[in-house]
Amino acid sequence: MNALVQREAAAIRQEWLGRALSTLPADRPAVEAAVSALYRLAGLSPPRFHWVASPLAALATVPPGLSHSPEHPDRWPLLSRFAELKDEWSRTVEAGMRRPHWTIDRIVQQEVFFPLQRSISSCLLPPLRRAHSWGAPGWMRWDRTHYVSRIARYDALRRTAGLVLDAEQERRFELWAAVLGSCHWWWPDEHVCVVSERPVALHTEVAGDDGEVRPHHASGPAVRYTDGWAVHAWHGTQVPSWVIENPTVERIADEVNVEVRRCAIERLGWDAYIEQAGLRLVSRAPDPGNPGSELRLYDVRRGTRVLLAVNGSVERDGHRRRYGLTVPVYLNDPIEAAGWTYGLSGEQYATLLRRT
Amino acid sequence: MTVTLASLSRRTGLAVLDHLEQSVRIPVVDGLQAQGDLIVIPLPLVATSVTLIPEDRWEPVPAEGVELLRGAAGGNPHTLVADPGTCRWTTHVADSQGLAIGVFTASVPVYLLHPEHGGSGCAPGTYVVRRQREHEGTRARLVAD
Repeated sequence: MNALVQREAAAIRQEWLGRALSTLPADRPAVEAAVSALYRLAGLSPPRFHWVASPLAALATVPPGLSHSPEHPDRWPLLSRFAELKDEWSRTVEAGMRRPHWTIDRIVQQEVFFPLQRSISSCLLPPLRRAHSWGAPGWMRWDRTHYVSRIARYDALRRTAGLVLDAEQERRFELWAAVLGSCHWWWPDEHVCVVSERPVALHTEVAGDDGEVRPHHASGPAVRYTDGWAVHAWHGTQVPSWVIENPTVERIADEVNVEVRRCAIERLGWDAYIEQAGLRLVSRAPDPGNPGSELRLYDVRRGTRVLLAVNGSVERDGHRRRYGLTVPVYLNDPIEAAGWTYGLSGEQYATLLRRT
Repeated sequence: MTVTLASLSRRTGLAVLDHLEQSVRIPVVDGLQAQGDLIVIPLPLVATSVTLIPEDRWEPVPAEGVELLRGAAGGNPHTLVADPGTCRWTTHVADSQGLAIGVFTASVPVYLLHPEHGGSGCAPGTYVVRRQREHEGTRARLVAD
């Protein structure tokens, strides 16, 4: 029975993930109707709607009449009102959950809630954060209001565990589902609600066992909006555009962020990087267990060395991929360095019989 | 019986990429062997740093195998495959290097299977499976290929 629930929950997650990460134009009438209804629930009159092409445009073209500084993510006071509204509704839904619902909820959280939470945080939060130029905390309420994870969790409980919502709970479910399934980011203020269109391109890759995804595009922006504004990402790490579009050894040398530097080197390829950067070869040795291949140790700056190794198995085109692994600077011998990567001494690693 | 990638793949239902050599016998060895970002180490070799947590929590390796580790992107798993009743496995290990993901003990040859890296055969014995790490800034990060 668990396996069945798990399969159903996974299918429901995929539905919501598709809606959350959709690149179709926002359904403007649906968004405006549902957001207006949420304003009424909060005791406010429906706002004017200000539609923009991207989160950056949302903050650059905020209409007059705003009482606060739009950049600061915490200074959108209505956000906390809406977060409370959603929490209050959650509490009534969960008050109606019985033991069998909670049992299945464990599976639903693992299959639906957390994968959605992580996928949205890695794919959609970067554009929002970048538009706000705001690194520090202050995002809590945005996930409480803007993520579909909770809605999807209750939807999965309805469909797999027979959770029944009363008429009012159902109405609120439909409102939140309509907003979060029809657009990504919206900024509510008392008289005006700014809403961004969805991106026109969103490139992702699978990032775990439970169906979560992360942004990645090896040759262009991972997230791109109609106004050209974009966010680049390398295997889930948000990077400056040069890392993807034009990685050079000079830029890599100037980069202070170690993670961005690693992404840029991987984008360029370790082999090419070592050659173009003219890294000094410290030592080389045959790779035990990988006949015909060599391990090479190079000096990189800032207390790091890199071990260049060759894959034990062939790629589809018949070549063996070379890859670099950064190792501590005190290692002088490539065998010792290879051993270190597995927590072994050089003598131990030297006994390697086979690498695939 | 000769165990090849093709026969392992048939037996477990796990796919391997078709450009890998399918019909050659997978070598079975009793020492250290690496499969991408994973390494299999005979327990006695690292007995000073890896200890089994006393509580007996060994699990039998079922016919479909045990997924030891899954790559970060694309999700390619390293799977431990054994004939039923011949191999047990536990994750209750302490490793001073912090890299061990488990220990298995086999009474007949068992295999590690990966869609891109192919197969590794392990002779009867007890082995530690460790992940690979990298040095980043002042910390270490685990490699996920």
